[in-house]
Amino acid sequence: MIEFLRDLLGFETWLLVIVGALISFLAIFGFVAVLAMVAVWLERKVGGHIQVRLGPMRVGGWHGWAQSIADSLKLLMKEDMVVLGADRVLFKLAPAIVMATALSTFVVLPFSPDLQVADVDLGIFFVLAISSITTIGVVMAGWGSNNKWSLYGAMREAAQVASYEIPLGLSLMMPVMYYGTFSLKAASDAQSGWYGMQWYIFSDAFWIAIPSFFLFFTAALAETKRTPFDLPETESELVAGFHTEYSGMRWAFFFMEEYAAMFLMGAIGTAFWLGGYSFPGMNLLEAGSFLHTVLCIGSFVTKSMLLLLVMIWVRWTLPRLRIDQVMTMGYKYLTPLCLILVFMAAGWEYFKFAMGW
Amino acid sequence: MASLQIPKEPLPKPTWWGNVCAGVKSTWVGLGITWRNFRSTPVTIQYPDEALPIDARYRGIHFLEQDICIGCQACAKACPVDCIEMEYDRHGKELEWFKFTVDYEKCMFCELCVYPCPKDCIHLGSDYSMVSETKPMFLKELLSYTGLTEEQKVRIAKADELKKKKAAEKAAKKAAEKAAKEAEEAAAPEAPPEPPTKEKE
Repeated sequence: MIEFLRDLLGFETWLLVIVGALISFLAIFGFVAVLAMVAVWLERKVGGHIQVRLGPMRVGGWHGWAQSIADSLKLLMKEDMVVLGADRVLFKLAPAIVMATALSTFVVLPFSPDLQVADVDLGIFFVLAISSITTIGVVMAGWGSNNKWSLYGAMREAAQVASYEIPLGLSLMMPVMYYGTFSLKAASDAQSGWYGMQWYIFSDAFWIAIPSFFLFFTAALAETKRTPFDLPETESELVAGFHTEYSGMRWAFFFMEEYAAMFLMGAIGTAFWLGGYSFPGMNLLEAGSFLHTVLCIGSFVTKSMLLLLVMIWVRWTLPRLRIDQVMTMGYKYLTPLCLILVFMAAGWEYFKFAMGW
Repeated sequence: MASLQIPKEPLPKPTWWGNVCAGVKSTWVGLGITWRNFRSTPVTIQYPDEALPIDARYRGIHFLEQDICIGCQACAKACPVDCIEMEYDRHGKELEWFKFTVDYEKCMFCELCVYPCPKDCIHLGSDYSMVSETKPMFLKELLSYTGLTEEQKVRIAKADELKKKKAAEKAAKKAAEKAAKEAEEAAAPEAPPEPPTKEKE
């Protein structure tokens, strides 16, 4: 991209980096904003139909497709309020930090072999490290709101996310060990062999891949604060958790972050387990051609959105856990299971190496 | 629905693997239930476009059969909250309507106005939606027209004609009677002798 811009504009390199970063930011921000709208609409429609009702039906005509647009316009026009006793700096900075971390994790997602902002070698490490910063933003929001409910929510978020980082990271070790790379693009490339169907869950280690995928999915639900793990914003106990005092667009940033994180987790699951951007019959098309790129992007986004839909489905199915149950599940169940699988995966890799396969 | 079964012996102590299996199984079953719900037809309807069927005896907003109403005020007198008001002029048997209002801020849909009606002309309908931004909108006019219709005018004119005719006939009859009487008087100037009365002495 930098080279392309240099040819196009002929600027100095540092300026090109800034321009490239700006273009990437705008692209990612636009993608995340549209994604959040679509995901909110999907959430309401799916939730409605699961509860044997219809969901939004009015705005925009066909099944209320413009409901999210109307809602976001409303949020944009709402008054931006800061409570009187709030720590103004923390209060105003928190949504920005949360949103910035959510956006910057999109940098490493390989939407197609060519379309990726930066192919970071330690891609999944980058994602895990950056997405943990979200917790700091949430704690800032909870502390800055000067509200007991907000602080409870923020503390729960901190405890929950810190404990679920362990099973999440461990469950990601299985594909990382199998493909020998931390990079999402390298893992996706490795899965696009044999007509684009050489996915990790269809590989020789499928008996590790499938349970590890479920463990990853559970930990991802907890990491993205989705029901049944949405303890930070339990509306039945804490009014709305850490974003109780927020209104308007600052609140919308927290909301967008949630859906961006859901898509991110779906995308990681796609990139490591479900073959990334690969699709059946991939190598029949010329790599780098327009159709190939479009189908790659479509495949990646479709798989990620399917995982996002499953997250929505789980949300409307399971009741919320208690905070002690959440912690028990994280430390006593997910972590040992992940450790067992890590040893099994390592043993399988060593076995293959020893047998010379 | 299965009745609640109280286990005779205490439940076995949950084991670690048992909990894992139970969690996976309950999640799976729950997802199946929500999937079936998702696939089923929604039970809700799109309200302003379609409405649920209403029973015939539903007590909704009134409707009045204005043509057969005789303005006897029986419904207004029966109303416990005095929400019915009417104004009309009588032209003989015909009524010239000005106002027949029900104040739905007061009305409680008790249907007591319906029973005393001698002509059975006021009813509670099936319409229940009465959305309004202002209070005066709840003062609902039940009349479909005010003033006199052409038919009524014709009928009133006929009635007047009949009345005039009758009056004329009556006057003519009276005049005739009078004339006859006068003629009789003239024909018999002498009064017939009085019958002799018994003396009461």
